[in-house]
Amino acid sequence: MIKIAELSCGTEYSGVQGEIEAAASTVGGKMVYPDIEAEDIDNAVEEFGFNPVSPQLRLMIARAIHLVEGHYDADAVFISSCFRCAEGALVRNEIRRYIQLHSRIPVVTYSFTERTKASQLLTRMEALVTIVERKELLARERQVGLTAGIDSGSATTKCVVMRDNEIIGKFWTPTGAVIDTAEYVFNEACKEAGIKTSQLEAVGVTGYGRFTIGKKMNAKLIQEELTVNSKGAVWLADRQKGDATIIDIGGMDNKAITVHDGIPDNFTMGGICAGASGRFLEIVSKRLKVDITELGQLADRGDYRKVKMNSYCSVFGIQDLVTTLAEGKTMEDVAAAACHSVAEQVYEQQLQEIDVRQPVIQVGGTSLISGMVTAIKDVLGYEPIVPPHSQYIGAVGGALLSSGFLEG
Amino acid sequence: MKVFIVPPNSLILFDLVERFGHEPLSTMQLIQEMVDNLEIDSPPLNVTPDDVKRGLKYAGIEVPSGIRGRLAVWSELFEQADATIIMEDAPYAFGCVGCHRTNLILNYLLRQRGMPLLELRYPLDDEEAMTMVLQVKGFLGGLK
Amino acid sequence: MIERETRLLVISPTSDITPDQLTRFLHAMDLPITIKETCYGAMVEGDPDTIHRVVDGARALDHNKIFSKRRGYPIGDTRRCRAHHGSRPGFTQLEAEWHDLGRIELGLDCCDRGESVPEPTVDHRVPINRLREIIKEVTE
Repeated sequence: MIKIAELSCGTEYSGVQGEIEAAASTVGGKMVYPDIEAEDIDNAVEEFGFNPVSPQLRLMIARAIHLVEGHYDADAVFISSCFRCAEGALVRNEIRRYIQLHSRIPVVTYSFTERTKASQLLTRMEALVTIVERKELLARERQVGLTAGIDSGSATTKCVVMRDNEIIGKFWTPTGAVIDTAEYVFNEACKEAGIKTSQLEAVGVTGYGRFTIGKKMNAKLIQEELTVNSKGAVWLADRQKGDATIIDIGGMDNKAITVHDGIPDNFTMGGICAGASGRFLEIVSKRLKVDITELGQLADRGDYRKVKMNSYCSVFGIQDLVTTLAEGKTMEDVAAAACHSVAEQVYEQQLQEIDVRQPVIQVGGTSLISGMVTAIKDVLGYEPIVPPHSQYIGAVGGALLSSGFLEG
Repeated sequence: MKVFIVPPNSLILFDLVERFGHEPLSTMQLIQEMVDNLEIDSPPLNVTPDDVKRGLKYAGIEVPSGIRGRLAVWSELFEQADATIIMEDAPYAFGCVGCHRTNLILNYLLRQRGMPLLELRYPLDDEEAMTMVLQVKGFLGGLK
Repeated sequence: MIERETRLLVISPTSDITPDQLTRFLHAMDLPITIKETCYGAMVEGDPDTIHRVVDGARALDHNKIFSKRRGYPIGDTRRCRAHHGSRPGFTQLEAEWHDLGRIELGLDCCDRGESVPEPTVDHRVPINRLREIIKEVTE
């Protein structure tokens, strides 16, 4: 049983405490609340130096200090407060930073609404538990034997076949019926590798459809995409040691993950706004009547500064783009503005919540759109690394980690 | 008479109201109703997203869910209250009263209701505590 | 469903009664209730009328030094049990209020003596003109 310390405000009165506990228990975790003496709270707040008015936030600070000082034993920390509460957001972020600076306890943060469900929390909780439970597996840096990885994403499904630390087959297609699509990419990747599926020694699956596919394919590894994608990204970018930040902007959601030696220590996930995902670029491509694969080059020739966008929204923001076209601005400028809009939103929503460490490795389907890489570079002020096969990180991570089950 | 207390989970205020012959309205009785209702399963308090929506009567959608949820739960009490005692600046107010923003709007709503109201500050020393208890007794004694 | 009421009985830090003595006293009342000794006193649970008798009895055991409030959860409910999760925030509140019960006792003693509310104290804040003078005095 993994003990996850909960530092939170408002979960019970938002009706989401049960969802948090359900998500934790699904992945073999248990929420616990670090005990604290009432009289220690003032001292803790004074020591911390941030003095919120809401008592519950003061309690959160005291509990964080208690954990860091080792007075309470927990394997991981979950920090959470109400969405739209400024006081809560400030405290949430500062105690997250404090815990990471002063301890090695994995942390995950989340701001919830009354609509938050266990399923939304599951990936976070699963990653926390994986980091605690599979530390040794996650330390693996070389793929051995003959293995495959399948990444069942919300927009596309990818498969990679690896032999002795090399990619020998790969295939992707848009996600349709989860199992059928997975079987299709799996067979095609094996075909490209020139092997029979029966020859594979292990399969690892990740992504939204991981449980369904994993069960069906008897996968050795069924793991959430945060830890798996991190491994895939550092392997592909050959940055297995030290710090890095992975920016993974996919078809439906996006992730920003900080890693140390390939193991995630913090991450944020988008997923409530299409404006910060590849979906936004898809809609723009359709409106511009260009193929999504051409959007990047188009954007590279444009200047986003010439287009005024008042919103990141895939409805209102795109309306701005269309209006701009009507005003006679070029397709190139509009494409550049669209890429910049996604990059800016990822920067504002995700990258503010983690300490961005260089190098930045840009991956996910949108990393194939060159204009998107340019936009991220503009926003960050330095060039991200885009490794080869950057859309296959999840599949590579799955093949690499599942090979860990072959030895000993 | 039914007396709503703020903080609604206060041991001191609950005890004083009861001791001086009135019925304290506290969060605890609501929690009891919620946890005893086995048909709902949203542990540990059984506050559901629908409860949070009921809070929209008191605060808009742009207000965090924890505030609306608390107001929805407490409204069941203060809607039936005959009088209120508000104790501000309680040094430690956790759990249901842990959100300062909720307490601001709650106190405002209570003041708007026009019922007998006693406003106190949490006592800082023995003298203030004695005065506070005497004020509570005087206030409750005057409720007829 | 049988109506229940669950109560915390909290002993003031100024009292010489121990939770053990309180619990034994409650058992001696010989009423159909559940009793649990706790670090701050005891928890009792039963039908509301009986519980009110028990609370009155407990309060009388040590005059103005034993306090009570309701509890939402039944005794031993795992959703609220400290042993299962660690303490919930309400426990910290209880701990803080327990600390100041001695002062409330002083107030109750005043009530027993029939004292009335003293005149409100004047605002202690220094008037702005006086503050100006003080600044002048200190800086010159």
